[in-house]
Amino acid sequence: MGLKRDVSLSTALRYKGQGPFLTFILHRIGGLGMAIFITVHILATFVEKQGWAIGDFINDIYMSPPFQIFILFCVLFHAINGLRITILDLFPTRLIQYHRQAIAIEWVIFIILFSFAAVSAVTTAIGRL
Amino acid sequence: MEVTVKIFRYNPEKDQRGNYVTYKIEADPNDRVLDVLEHIKGKEDGTLSFRRSCAHGVCGSDAMRINGRNMLACKTLVRDVGANITVEPLLGLKVAKDLIVDMGPFFDNYKKMLPYLINDNPIPADGKERLQSPEQRARFDESTKCILCAACTTSCPSFWANDEYYGPAALVTAHRFIFDSRDEGADQRLHVISETNGSVRCHTAYNCTEACPRDIHITQAIGEIKLAMVTGKLE
Repeated sequence: MGLKRDVSLSTALRYKGQGPFLTFILHRIGGLGMAIFITVHILATFVEKQGWAIGDFINDIYMSPPFQIFILFCVLFHAINGLRITILDLFPTRLIQYHRQAIAIEWVIFIILFSFAAVSAVTTAIGRL
Repeated sequence: MEVTVKIFRYNPEKDQRGNYVTYKIEADPNDRVLDVLEHIKGKEDGTLSFRRSCAHGVCGSDAMRINGRNMLACKTLVRDVGANITVEPLLGLKVAKDLIVDMGPFFDNYKKMLPYLINDNPIPADGKERLQSPEQRARFDESTKCILCAACTTSCPSFWANDEYYGPAALVTAHRFIFDSRDEGADQRLHVISETNGSVRCHTAYNCTEACPRDIHITQAIGEIKLAMVTGKLE
């Protein structure tokens, strides 16, 4: 008797866990994005070797500026957030109580690095036109 | 002020799935959400079901999702959540009726942490209590504050995905005994926690820490357990 306990993805994403939960979700998105990128990359190389035209199409997708910016976001956020988690995990008694401050610092570093990287990707793309 | 309260309703004898019912009532900004629910149950709809006991944030009975976050209804003021309030049962546990969830799996996980003092040594020669210094007591002071309301465990994404995961509340209970200088069962507990569904399932989302109505640094407690597992030190 009773409703099932399953928590759907949409329900989970609607939980208002605030800043730390947002970084948790973005960390997963970052990891998933990198996995997709590597899969597409391997697939494109394989298909190109076979001489199939679809290889160029796949290459065009991951060489496109929006996809590159998305991948930059995934890699940078995943790396910086992972570093923050690792540092806090190594010193739980002294540092975890400052997790909110650590997340604020993480965002500042991420925004600076991502801005540079994104601008670089966009200017490179414009130069290619 | 007029308050619009949207409440998740589910009657296992009639409903296949839950639905939301909206009530409009007059409430004081200083009323607690529990007062609002009591008002609805007493004056509007006597079939509304929810748990409550002490109503003072000590028993942990009335943990529920209020405007999307786990809170105790007796510690949440209307003025803090606004005139539009959505009240739902805790996530990740079966809903028995309306806002009441089946706490069975939660307490099963709690019991796995051996939540009692383990010490087979003879009692001190004077026949009185086992003494400990204020510093030794302070080591696990935070985790003694847990009231087992399940607000932390049911806010944890790892628990949502897998109810076999012991959850933050059980791990806080383990922390309370592992770091107690009088207890000698740390090895047994660390062995239980080192299993697949133990502390390794904590991915530091911090939802538990944010949800805890007793302001326990839960993620810190779990982090200390993880470190104790790796280093074997209980300092």
